[in-house]
Amino acid sequence: MNNIINIETLIFTASIGLVVIGIYLVIAEKNLIKIIIGLNLADSGVNIFIVFSGYIKNKTAPIFSKGSLGFENMVDPLPQALVLTAIVIGFGVTALSLAIAIRLYKHYGTLDISKIRGLKW
Amino acid sequence: MVNPILLIIVPIAAAFFIPIISKAAKSLAKYIAFFVGLFNLIAAIYIFMHTINTPISVIIAGYKPPVGINLYVGPLAAVLSIVITFIGFLSMIYSFKYINDDSSPLFYSMFLLLLTGAIGMVLTADIFNLFVFFEILCISSYALVAYDRNRDGLEASMKYLIQGSIGSVLILFGIALIYFSIGTLNMADIALKYQNANKNLITIAIILMITGFGIEAAIFPLNSWLPDAHSSAPSSISAVLSGFVIEVALIIIMKIIFLIFSATYFLTFFAIVGVITLLMGELSAFKQENIKRVLAYSSIGQIGLILFAFSINTPQGISGGIFQIINHAVSKSLLFLSAGYVIHKTGSKNVSDYKGIAKSMPFLGIVFIIGALSLIGIPPFIGFFSKFNIILAAISKHSVLYIVLTALVLLGTIFEASYFFKIAKIMYTGKKRKEGYAKVPFAVLFPLGLLAIIIVISFIYTNGILNYTNKAGADLINKIAFIHAVLG
Amino acid sequence: MRKLIGLILIFGFAFYMFTIVAAIVIPSDSSEKKSVGIDILQNSVRQTGAANAVTSIVVLYRGFDTLGEVTVLFLSALGIALLMKGGRSFKHKTEDESFILKTGSHLLFPFMFLFGIYIIAHGHLTPGGGFPGGVIIATGFFIVLMTSDVFKFRDYFLTIIEGFAGLSFIVLGIVGLFTPEKSFLVNFMNKGVFNTVFSAGIIPLIYAAIGIKVSSELSGAVGNLFVSKYGRRSENE
Repeated sequence: MNNIINIETLIFTASIGLVVIGIYLVIAEKNLIKIIIGLNLADSGVNIFIVFSGYIKNKTAPIFSKGSLGFENMVDPLPQALVLTAIVIGFGVTALSLAIAIRLYKHYGTLDISKIRGLKW
Repeated sequence: MVNPILLIIVPIAAAFFIPIISKAAKSLAKYIAFFVGLFNLIAAIYIFMHTINTPISVIIAGYKPPVGINLYVGPLAAVLSIVITFIGFLSMIYSFKYINDDSSPLFYSMFLLLLTGAIGMVLTADIFNLFVFFEILCISSYALVAYDRNRDGLEASMKYLIQGSIGSVLILFGIALIYFSIGTLNMADIALKYQNANKNLITIAIILMITGFGIEAAIFPLNSWLPDAHSSAPSSISAVLSGFVIEVALIIIMKIIFLIFSATYFLTFFAIVGVITLLMGELSAFKQENIKRVLAYSSIGQIGLILFAFSINTPQGISGGIFQIINHAVSKSLLFLSAGYVIHKTGSKNVSDYKGIAKSMPFLGIVFIIGALSLIGIPPFIGFFSKFNIILAAISKHSVLYIVLTALVLLGTIFEASYFFKIAKIMYTGKKRKEGYAKVPFAVLFPLGLLAIIIVISFIYTNGILNYTNKAGADLINKIAFIHAVLG
Repeated sequence: MRKLIGLILIFGFAFYMFTIVAAIVIPSDSSEKKSVGIDILQNSVRQTGAANAVTSIVVLYRGFDTLGEVTVLFLSALGIALLMKGGRSFKHKTEDESFILKTGSHLLFPFMFLFGIYIIAHGHLTPGGGFPGGVIIATGFFIVLMTSDVFKFRDYFLTIIEGFAGLSFIVLGIVGLFTPEKSFLVNFMNKGVFNTVFSAGIIPLIYAAIGIKVSSELSGAVGNLFVSKYGRRSENE
C-alpha cells in the first residue's frame, strides 16, 4: 500500500486532474469567466507536470548556498526554468482574454457564450 | 553575410521602441515599421543566397547545443523566411492607408512581433524555443484580430484565443513528456536519441504536439475558429494570417513528423484528413455571402491540399507542398487585400452587392481574377505548376488509395473554380457603378500590383523555383545532414 | 450533447494517461537520470559563477527563451492597452475607502517596494529574480492605486520606462555579438566573487532590466484595466 501512495502518484494525479478539470470547464461551461478559469487551471496542471518531470527522489533544490551538499544531491534545474517561462506566458494569455471579455460584455451585455453568436454560417 | 539572429532581434527592438514615441509622433511609427520590414526582407534575401546550398547553425549565448539554443538556417528556413518577410512587408504597406487611428503605433508594434514570431518558429532548432515563438505568434494574432474592437472581431478573437490556448496546453504537455523520456530539448539531439526512449511516451507526445499545432494550422476538425477569425480581422491581418501563419504551423507539424521523429506511419491518416479538409473547405465556401468568409473557407481547403501534398512522402510531393505554400501565400494575400479594398470602397461585405464592380474598378477586377486563377491552378500562372507537381507525385505512388484521393482533389478544384467563377460573374456583369472609382491609392496599388506581376511572370522562372523547393524539401527529410550541421 | 462528448473525451484522455503514462512515469528509477539539466548543473558554477542554477539557465543557457517571455508580457500589455482604449475615464471614489485600508496600504508600500528590489537584486543567489520581484513591486503600486489618491496613474511615464528597460535587455545581448565568441547574449563580464551580490557576470544586470520592465508593464496593464470603465449605461458609477 505504501508503494502506491507516495509523493509521485499524488503529484501526477494532481496535475492530470487539473488538466482534465480545466479542459472540461472550457468545453462544457457557458459563462465566459468560467471558461477563462478553466484555461488557467489547465495551464497550472501542465506546469505542475513539467516540474514533476525533473524530480529525482530524495534530492534537494538546485541552489549552491553556503550549506549545500554539492550537485549530486540536487534535482534537475532545467524544467524549473521552463516552468518560469510557461507561467508568465499563461499569465499573459489570461490577462488578454479578460480584457477581451470586458469589451464583449460592453457590446452584448451578457457573458453567456450561447448568446454571443453574432457570426453565423 | 547577415547574422540570422538579426532577423529576430531587430523587429523586437523596434517593437519595444515604438510605444515610447507613440504619443509624440504617431506617424514615426509607420516609418520605423516600414524600414524594419524592408531591412528584414533584404536580410532574408541575403541569407537565402548564402544558405541555399550550405546550411548554417548559429549558436546563441555562446553555449553549444544541446546545452544551449541554436538556430538552424537551411534551404527550408531560407525559403520560408523570404515568404514571411515579403508577405509581411506588402501587408504593412497596404495597412499604411487604412490603419490610421489613435492606436496605430500599437498596431505596427504588434505586427512586427507577429512577423518575429513566425520567423523565429521557422529558424529555431530547439522545441521549447519553438513553443515560446509560437506563443508570440498566437498572442499577437489574438490581439490583432480584435483590433477593430467591433462585435465580430471581439467574438472571433475570443473563439480563436480559447481554442489556441488549449492547443498550447497540449503542446506543453508533449514537450514535458519528451523531456521526461529523452532528457534534451534540442531538435537534433532528440532526433539522435529518441529510439532509446520509451515508445509509448514518444507516441503520446507526438500525438499531443500534432494536435496542438494542428489547431493553429486549421486541420479538420480543429478549424472552427478560422472562418470567424480570418473574416473579422482587418484585411491586412487576414492576408497575413492566411498567407503564412497557418502554413508555418503546418510546416512545424511536418518537421516533427519527418525531421525529428521519422513518424511516417501518420502519413496515410494525414492524406485522408487532408482531402476531407479540402472538400469541406471548398464545399462550405460555395454558399457563403460574405466575401472574406469565402476566402477563409478557401484557405481551409488549401491547407488540406498542402497537407495531402506532404503526406505523399516522396521528394516530388514534398517539394510540391512547399511550392503550393508559396503559391497560396502570394495568391491568397492578393485576394484578401483586394477584397479589403472592395469592402472599403463599396462599404459592403456581401458578394451580391458587388454587381458590376469590375467595370468601374478595372484594376481591381484584373488582379482578383489573376489571384483566383492562380489559386485554382490554371496555366500559365504559378498555381498550375504546384498543383500539377502534387498530382504527378500522388499518381506516381501507384497506390489505389492515392488515386482515389487524387480524384477527390480534382473534384475539390472543380468546386473551387465554380465559386470563383460565380464571384467573377457577379463582378463583371451588371451596370457600371458610381464614377471615379478607377483611381487606386499608391499604398494599395503597389502591393496588389507587385503580387499580380509576380504571379503572372513566374512561369518564366518555374524551373528556378522548383530547384529551390526541391532543395527545401530535401532539407526537410534529411535527418543526418541536420544532426551533423547542428551537433557536429 | 456537447457536454456528453466533452466528458467522454476528457475521461478517455484521463484514463489513458493514468494507465499507460502513470505506469511508466511514476515507478521510473530516476536516480541515474541523464539529461541536459544534470549536465548544466555539474558545470554551472564553473561556467557562470551564479549560485542559483535555475537562474543561470533562465538568463544564460536559455536566455533566448527569456527574451521571448519578456516579449509575450509586452504583447499582452499592448493588447490590454489597445482593448481598453476609449472607455469613460473612471475616477474611483477613494473617499469611500476605509481609513484602515488607506493607512495600511501607505505603510505597506515602502516595505513591498524594498522587498521587491531585494528579490530582483539577489536573483542569482536565492530563488526569485526579475519576474517575481517585478510582480511584487507592481502589487505594491496597485494596492496604493486602488485605495488612495497618492499616485495618479500616468500611463505615458510607465510606457517610457518599460520601453527603455526592454531596449537595455536587447542592447546587453547585442554587446555579445561583438565579443570574440560572436553570439547573442554572451556572458561578457567577469564572474566576480562567488555568492555575493556582484557576481555572475551579466545576470544581475539582465534581471534588473527585466524587473523594471515587468513592474512598469504590470502597473500599466492593471491601471488600464482599472481606470477605464466599461459597462451598461444602467449601472451606476
